[in-house]
Amino acid sequence: MDPVALLSGAFLVVGAFFFIAGTVGLIRLPDRFSRLHALTKADNVGLGFIVLGLMPLVPDLFYGLKLVLVWLLVVIAGATGAHLIAKRALRGDGEDVL
Amino acid sequence: MYRHPVFAHPRAATLRAIGFALVWLILVGPDAASWIIGGPFVVAATLASLRLSKPRERNLSVSSLAGFIPYFLVESLRGGLDVAARVLLPRLRVQPGNQEYRVSLRSPEARLVFIDSISLLPGTLSADLRGDLVTVHALDVRTDVVEGLTTLERRVAALFGESLPPASDRTIARTTAGRSPADETSARETPSHPEGRP
Repeated sequence: MDPVALLSGAFLVVGAFFFIAGTVGLIRLPDRFSRLHALTKADNVGLGFIVLGLMPLVPDLFYGLKLVLVWLLVVIAGATGAHLIAKRALRGDGEDVL
Repeated sequence: MYRHPVFAHPRAATLRAIGFALVWLILVGPDAASWIIGGPFVVAATLASLRLSKPRERNLSVSSLAGFIPYFLVESLRGGLDVAARVLLPRLRVQPGNQEYRVSLRSPEARLVFIDSISLLPGTLSADLRGDLVTVHALDVRTDVVEGLTTLERRVAALFGESLPPASDRTIARTTAGRSPADETSARETPSHPEGRP
């Protein structure tokens, strides 16, 4: 078998593993702050490995740049969103605080 | 006399517009028709960025950035593995709680990078920033999060060419086990828009 395809597949599987771990964390963790941990970190690494696994399959450099940019934007949005959700929950000034 | 930021900072406006146009170009590809949508959004993003982040002298250190990227990737991987190991084990290995950390970084962009990076590092999540105090939520309060935060802060300071006071000056204000949104009600009195609307 083509070693590049094998490596690519392995990275995709690792990426999927982190997404599953993040989902399990979302279900199992006790409070919203801890769930944010699982989401931000697992998604960051999971998507990182998916992008890495897709790299050998890109048709041109432009496409590769796009994948990296998508990862970067997701990481920034994820971390910023998690901070804003946590801040809102911590200050208790949102509508939905139990 | 009031001048619109675009005219007050023509160089910053041009550079940012080029940056946003590049993002659009990379995301959508070289399709001329896509600029019907992309063009207005590049203009809108440039105007919003000039309003939200005033152009000023920034000294981003390229050599520090080269060091920061591998550090960030390794720590991200550790963070992902850490959280995966904690939640996938049959017995959930967590003891969530908040810690406060006094941040010494000054510039808003350095603080932004610091705050966002905290959430991607192992076991920590930046929950709040009030004045100089960052509330860091730890997945496991039994682990030492301060060391990681100090290292990260030092890295970010180098990235933006800031100097930090010696580590001994900075201590943790308090540690609270478990979440307690209820005892933060005093926060409501703090105005969320201190600058107000013009």
